[in-house]
Amino acid sequence: MLNAIIRKLQLYKGWIGAAGGLCLGVGLYFGLVASPPDYYQGEVVRIMYVHVPLAHTSLLGYTVLFLGSCWYLWTRDPVVDNLCHAAAGLSTFFTAVALITGSIWAKPTWNTWWTWDARLVSFAVLFLILVGYLMLRTFIDDPEREARYAAVLAIVGFVDLPIVHFSVEWWRTLHQPLSISMRGVSISREILTPLVLMGIGFSLLFAYMLIVRTQLLYLSSLLRAKKGRLLSQVHLAKVQP
Amino acid sequence: MNFFEVIRVVAWKDLLCEVRSRETISSMFFFALIVILVFSFSFSMDQQAAHELIAGILWVAFAFTGIIGLGKSFSAELQNDCLEYLQICPAPKGAIYLGKVAANLLFIVTAEVILFPMFVIFFNLDVVEDLPLLLLIFFLATLGLSTVGTLFSAMTVHIRAREVMLPILLLPLAVPVMIAAVEATRGALNGNPLALYRHWIDLLVVFDVVFTVVSFWLVDLILDS
Repeated sequence: MLNAIIRKLQLYKGWIGAAGGLCLGVGLYFGLVASPPDYYQGEVVRIMYVHVPLAHTSLLGYTVLFLGSCWYLWTRDPVVDNLCHAAAGLSTFFTAVALITGSIWAKPTWNTWWTWDARLVSFAVLFLILVGYLMLRTFIDDPEREARYAAVLAIVGFVDLPIVHFSVEWWRTLHQPLSISMRGVSISREILTPLVLMGIGFSLLFAYMLIVRTQLLYLSSLLRAKKGRLLSQVHLAKVQP
Repeated sequence: MNFFEVIRVVAWKDLLCEVRSRETISSMFFFALIVILVFSFSFSMDQQAAHELIAGILWVAFAFTGIIGLGKSFSAELQNDCLEYLQICPAPKGAIYLGKVAANLLFIVTAEVILFPMFVIFFNLDVVEDLPLLLLIFFLATLGLSTVGTLFSAMTVHIRAREVMLPILLLPLAVPVMIAAVEATRGALNGNPLALYRHWIDLLVVFDVVFTVVSFWLVDLILDS
């Protein structure tokens, strides 16, 4: 079923990409031009409009990876495995960029590039788990075994992340509390609008990249499977709508 | 054979191999001695600094020794295709896994118990009052390392560069265990009141329970060839 959904989504990937680009464009305008500078942090605060949505998107990516891994173990569909592989790669990328932008933001506000704060450590651990996941995949030759082991690792990592978060939270924390939480929104509308727009934009961008990357991985797995032979028209017709 | 008998037999088999060859515990022990040596070169410590740092040093040494033991747990089965027979034998995979966890737990805790006096001697620690509590912390933290570590040991035994991949996979996931173990050990070594570090012991228990269940449930997918 998911296989069918993935194939269906490919038809609309252009629209998803365009909508994401539009959200990002409008969000950047509101964030960089229309919104006021922060009372304490001044213009520096504008990096938030990139950093926070990126961090959320990387978590979204890991959630997709977790759900996809469960789904793979359920159905053993290679396309779902390609989806997981793509989600892991993109999530690693988004986590890395979130860490870098966070580091750039931390220098003027906390006066340090890196500190052993709870959320920083959680994200660093998330990054390491994802890199481990991608490395594991490269070290296994059999595709079926690769998919199975990777799914198990993704599930174990997903279970581990809340525990990591709580342990480092107890250990030490410096981060500002979340602005949008269960207790309501504690920031003004002018800041919230671009933040939400950027969040939606990055999520759509992630979806677009995920579809393209899944397609790419599927095609390259087809190529590997058909090594030495001509790609049959049947497979190409299946992939390209 | 019923479920618990399988656990006992697998653990007993590993124990017997270890008693006859003495490979794992001796290599773990000497590796940890070298770690102690390197740390004593790296930091010049007085009594005060030793009390601050010793918990961290202890657990760095224990974690890396543990990884040596965990890696051997399944790679030793490669000889004579023992792994194949383990996988095709008509016993629940979960029981085989738990047997391996029990054996690993026993090896690593034994190594830790032998090593701890070395730390006391080389770093001039005071004699500890809370020895049973410290043993409990060692046991819980090692159980946490063993549950995830045994699962990953079974996973990495089939892949290239397994000696590298086991620590790369295990250590990020074991971050909560390491933090909790270090904080609890520091509390116990400095003789702080239990209430101050009780929550770290609780965290270790939670980690152990969660990952015993999750690994037990997932190991069928790993030990199935």
